[in-house]
Amino acid sequence: MASGAVPQVSGRDAGFVSDSENYLKNSSGVLSWACTLDHKRIGIMYLVGILASFLGGGLLAMAIRAHLMSPDGALFEDNNTYNQIFTLHGAIMVFLFIIPSIPAALGNFMVPVMLGAKDVAFPRLNLSSFYLWVGGAIFFVGALLMNGLDTGWTFYTPYSTSTDTSVVMATLGAFILGFSSIFTGLNFIVTINTMRPPGMTWFRMPLFLWATYATSIIQVLATPVLGITLLLLIAEKTMHIGIFDPEFNGDPVTFQHFFWFYSHPAVYIMILPAFGVISEIVSVHSHKGIFGYRFIAYSSIALALLSFLVWGHHMFTSGMSHVTVIVFSALTFTVSVPSAIKVFNWVATMYKGAISLTTPMCYALSFLFLFTIGGLTGLFLGTISTDLHLHDTYFVVAHFHYVMMGGTVIAFVGGLFHWWPKMSGKMFNEAWGRVSAVVVFIGFNMTFFPQFLLGNQGMPRRYASYDPEFAWLHQLSSIGAFTLGIGLLIAGLVLLHSIFNGKQAPANPWGGATLEWHCTSPPPFFNFKNPPAVGDPYEFDNVEYDSATDNYVFTDLPRERVPEKTPESTPASAGGQS
Amino acid sequence: MLAKLNQCTSGLWADAAHKLWFPDQASTYAAESDSTYSMILWVSIMFFVPLMIVMGYFVLKYKKAKGGKATSRLRHHNGLEITWTVVPCIFLVIMFVRGSWGYLDMSIPPEGARQVDVTAYKWAWSMDYGNGAIHPELHVVLDQPTKMVMRSTDVLHSFFVPAFRIKRDIVPGRYNIAWFEATMASEKISDEELAVILADHKESGDKQWDYDRHQVTEDGYRYFDLFCAEYCGQDHSTMQSYVVVHETQEDLDQWIKKISSRGETPPAEYGEKLYKLRNCVGCHSLEANKIVVGPSFHNLFGYDRELATGEKVLGDEQYIRESILDPKAKVVNGFNPQMPSFKGQLSDDDINSLIAFIKQQSDRGSTAADLAEEKSADEKAADAAE
Repeated sequence: MASGAVPQVSGRDAGFVSDSENYLKNSSGVLSWACTLDHKRIGIMYLVGILASFLGGGLLAMAIRAHLMSPDGALFEDNNTYNQIFTLHGAIMVFLFIIPSIPAALGNFMVPVMLGAKDVAFPRLNLSSFYLWVGGAIFFVGALLMNGLDTGWTFYTPYSTSTDTSVVMATLGAFILGFSSIFTGLNFIVTINTMRPPGMTWFRMPLFLWATYATSIIQVLATPVLGITLLLLIAEKTMHIGIFDPEFNGDPVTFQHFFWFYSHPAVYIMILPAFGVISEIVSVHSHKGIFGYRFIAYSSIALALLSFLVWGHHMFTSGMSHVTVIVFSALTFTVSVPSAIKVFNWVATMYKGAISLTTPMCYALSFLFLFTIGGLTGLFLGTISTDLHLHDTYFVVAHFHYVMMGGTVIAFVGGLFHWWPKMSGKMFNEAWGRVSAVVVFIGFNMTFFPQFLLGNQGMPRRYASYDPEFAWLHQLSSIGAFTLGIGLLIAGLVLLHSIFNGKQAPANPWGGATLEWHCTSPPPFFNFKNPPAVGDPYEFDNVEYDSATDNYVFTDLPRERVPEKTPESTPASAGGQS
Repeated sequence: MLAKLNQCTSGLWADAAHKLWFPDQASTYAAESDSTYSMILWVSIMFFVPLMIVMGYFVLKYKKAKGGKATSRLRHHNGLEITWTVVPCIFLVIMFVRGSWGYLDMSIPPEGARQVDVTAYKWAWSMDYGNGAIHPELHVVLDQPTKMVMRSTDVLHSFFVPAFRIKRDIVPGRYNIAWFEATMASEKISDEELAVILADHKESGDKQWDYDRHQVTEDGYRYFDLFCAEYCGQDHSTMQSYVVVHETQEDLDQWIKKISSRGETPPAEYGEKLYKLRNCVGCHSLEANKIVVGPSFHNLFGYDRELATGEKVLGDEQYIRESILDPKAKVVNGFNPQMPSFKGQLSDDDINSLIAFIKQQSDRGSTAADLAEEKSADEKAADAAE
């Protein structure tokens, strides 16, 4: 349909709110932020903290890659410094950045809005979970700065119980961060269970909410195990109770079981929300309903449950019984099925769509490429005989960076661009946004693809120096890492620039149909003036482009408030019984 | 830069078939492991490439200007979804079964395999060939299974030989067993070549043999790399050893004989060799103020040392012997008790040689004997006085 000739714009404004309504400006002053109970402001505070952690972890990554430019180490005087740097990089990225990135920052902001609720179920718990994050971060980083930490982020015993670096303080920090994570998860579960407005059935929830829900289940069930493990580690280190340290009749492999029983599900805490983000982006920017909605929703839940059964694949070489190893290998393969289904569904969603190559879409396409490689290379590690060669080499490093960084981080950045107009009320520079996506994509592959080859050739991970025959691949990887850093820097500058010089964002710049695009940008303090009418979140037929305001508008309002019970006639794709 | 790039690419093409992906296939596991790898690789490519082509095609074909409308409302298709759930499952089962078979082949050592006791510690390896023959290099015989009984004296380590496609963690408090059968012998270089390399080594003044530089062992064999693959602290990345595959049992026996005893070498000289071989050098320097990990050996002998408990102890033969066998008994002030015990790993003669070597590092080393004599003379005098 030709733009400008939109039939019934029904006299709605372009969606700009007055200053007093807008959540950013309805009150001011430091205290109005620090003591806020508004989920949107808490989300923004999380975002700032998380981006600061990402910057810190990223600079450490640059230091690592600079050091590895030469076989004997180019940057640090001694191995100890290198060991502390890679430990810091891993710990900051995992505990302070990736785990909270999408759920706590984007999720906190978006979950209630997409749900059509005024706030989360427990706003005070939400604020306390943010301060726990800050407390954990201070504890953690403080401990790292005081005496360093050189155990790797996994804290494997008996090294962690015998080193004299700040293991106790760092684990206490991680323990506190665990509570923050549990509270966020708990809050989302209760919010999604109890605060859906009339008409918002489970199968009318946007997939981002499904993903967040599945993630929250893992957070609530798995994180306590990490807490207990870390307390046991502290007890072992200070009181020698004899659980993990063979010197006191403990068994180090027990620690690995405990640790991975949390940390493997944690991988899904990191990646499931990313799946949710990608489902939203691909659908909205293809202007077409997501393909196989139910398969994607169910596969999120399936992944959440299966993620608890596969921790043993981190330990194929550690000396578990042969039966255990084979059983864990079999279970591991089961998690690849739901992940594969999602990838096929996303690609199928684009079929006969109306694709806009916006910045978020570029990041989403990049995600599909990188995550698929990440997922497929997982097969080499789930297969026992090949894992015996590849375990603890750079192949593993490359694999998990393709999944965690190529998956979660790319989705996070894509999601940030996707929801940026909503969150900040400003449009960013599209051209430079796309440039950042391309540079990040090239830099990423150049950084991590050579690492697969290094792993094949037998280069072990966590080495401060290496044999000269590995040099050219390492150098290629380092050059890629700097490119990647520049790409992310461009992305950051694009967003920063938009805050000061961006155009005012309309309510619905991309043409999405989920509820967050029904409220103004930035949303008013209570999200919606009136309880929103809920319909199919992926129904794009009545979303029309209005070139006069550069906004998408809802031409007619078919979304009558639906009675609480879904009528029998609702189409299956909308979640009713067909 | 360009020349380097060219060298890289030509190297790439030269052994694109193998070297880019893997090191030599030097054990019975290697071929099986690599072919499983290739199978998974081809299956992955079979999924990945068409998927990306389809994605790219959709992007180009269905790209629309702002405000365009999707031309299809297709939202689900059960047949399609069931197909792309079931088909991957079939491939996954094949991968699982192949990987598990390969693993089972590797898990039970055959009867009559030759045993080597492996001890891993921060940050070196010691391979015990029996009868007091201990060496950091792993020496085995071609086409004969070797079984390794592995233990660690401190933290987690992992035994990894890329050319053999074998990896096994070494867990303190347990014996982990691994076995392999090498299928590719290490070449022995000619005596003339070795002489040149030895001269070069002497000239360089290196304390330790530089494998990367010489590309052969001290005995003139080419080798396979052996890495520690589990992070184990400060010098994790230098915790490497070397595997030599001998053509015949006799050749190996001869080598073992060569390393197993001091022979005619003077104790101090043999002690210096042990200092390097058993990686004392990794932690203890010989220079006055250089601390690597543990105390320096410079002026250790004949001087008092202050312990963590505040006591003072004389650095004599008895103290050195005790510190080698029970390192945690008397810890010097300011150091962590993290040295492993060498009990059962060093013969009396070895310890004697090490003490002789340590004596050499002290300015009181040569006078020590006189001191002892003086002391005993004093005692004698005292006895006489009684």
